[in-house]
Amino acid sequence: MIESILFWLGSALFIVGGVFDLIGAIGMVRFPNFYVRLHAATIGGIYGAVLPLMGISLMALGIPELPGRFAIAGASFVTAIVLLVVAPVGSHILAYAAHKSKSVEWSPVVDKLLEDEEK
Amino acid sequence: MSRRILVLMLLFSATLIVSFTATIILNPATPSELKELAKYYVLNTINETASPEAVTAIVWDYRGLDTIYETLVLYLAIVGGLAIFKMSEEALLKTRIGLTLLTKTSTKIIALLITSIAAAIAFHGHLSPGGGFPGGSAVAVASMIIIPVFAAGTLIEKGISSTKLVAIRGAALTALGLVALLPVVRGLEIVTNQKFYPASILGLPISGSLSLYNLLESLAVASGFTAVALYLSIPEEAYKGGSSA
Repeated sequence: MIESILFWLGSALFIVGGVFDLIGAIGMVRFPNFYVRLHAATIGGIYGAVLPLMGISLMALGIPELPGRFAIAGASFVTAIVLLVVAPVGSHILAYAAHKSKSVEWSPVVDKLLEDEEK
Repeated sequence: MSRRILVLMLLFSATLIVSFTATIILNPATPSELKELAKYYVLNTINETASPEAVTAIVWDYRGLDTIYETLVLYLAIVGGLAIFKMSEEALLKTRIGLTLLTKTSTKIIALLITSIAAAIAFHGHLSPGGGFPGGSAVAVASMIIIPVFAAGTLIEKGISSTKLVAIRGAALTALGLVALLPVVRGLEIVTNQKFYPASILGLPISGSLSLYNLLESLAVASGFTAVALYLSIPEEAYKGGSSA
């Protein structure tokens, strides 16, 4: 009983992650400039990678006949946690560097940082 | 797409196709039995070196002298590289701001994770796949993400200068050489393992000198690569200013 719940929960997470990947890919193609595209890419990097990895770990726990299922579950869970820490920071550094070096076009509607710095 | 990239991609895919078809047509049979040498290692490694990990046993015991000279070659390469990059570290002291707080915090977490995995690779290398060199390289990965995030100047202010790192590397290599030379005192061959060093201490399996070699080699590799990374982070302007003066 608990195994099949884990398995189907994992599968659901897997499919949700795939949907997020698709959304991220569409955004990557359709969005107009660097910063918004970075947002789309980060959706693929976080929800599109962390959720499927969590799903894999739950699915592995839900298959009792799978050899070494605890190792698979633990490894994918740890990888998911590390990605959850690393992926947002990677996007954050990219945006920070692009903003500091002024290497991409920057046409904001509101720029609170500039307002703060001018005060 | 530029023509150069197109040609490269064509070459790459042609190589892939040719190798796949060759594998399918020629169908090289996988060997069904071990060779005599492999049989020897599989049967005798655990008795002769007290290590279940045959790769580490071959690297540090059966051909230990070769590995020690290899380590010396790498040491000379790093010392030569540092001599070419010879700079005062004042240029680095100007860079001490680093990246944002968010980046620094997550880098601390990740660097801790990488270092603990590296320690597991290095200190467990005589029992499971791994060893001194991979462990030291993993520590070098941690220092290579720390250096750009916290800025090299901050590290030098905290007292982690490349001179000290090279000194640590030299000390570790000296200790490694001593471990290799000590059996000579008792009239044994150089790089002797089981006849001189104990297989376990207080019930912990240390596989004689293999764990010592792994520990010292990981120290040496980590400090050497960190020193090189520190020197590589010197900004380009420092060199330009130096050449014109």
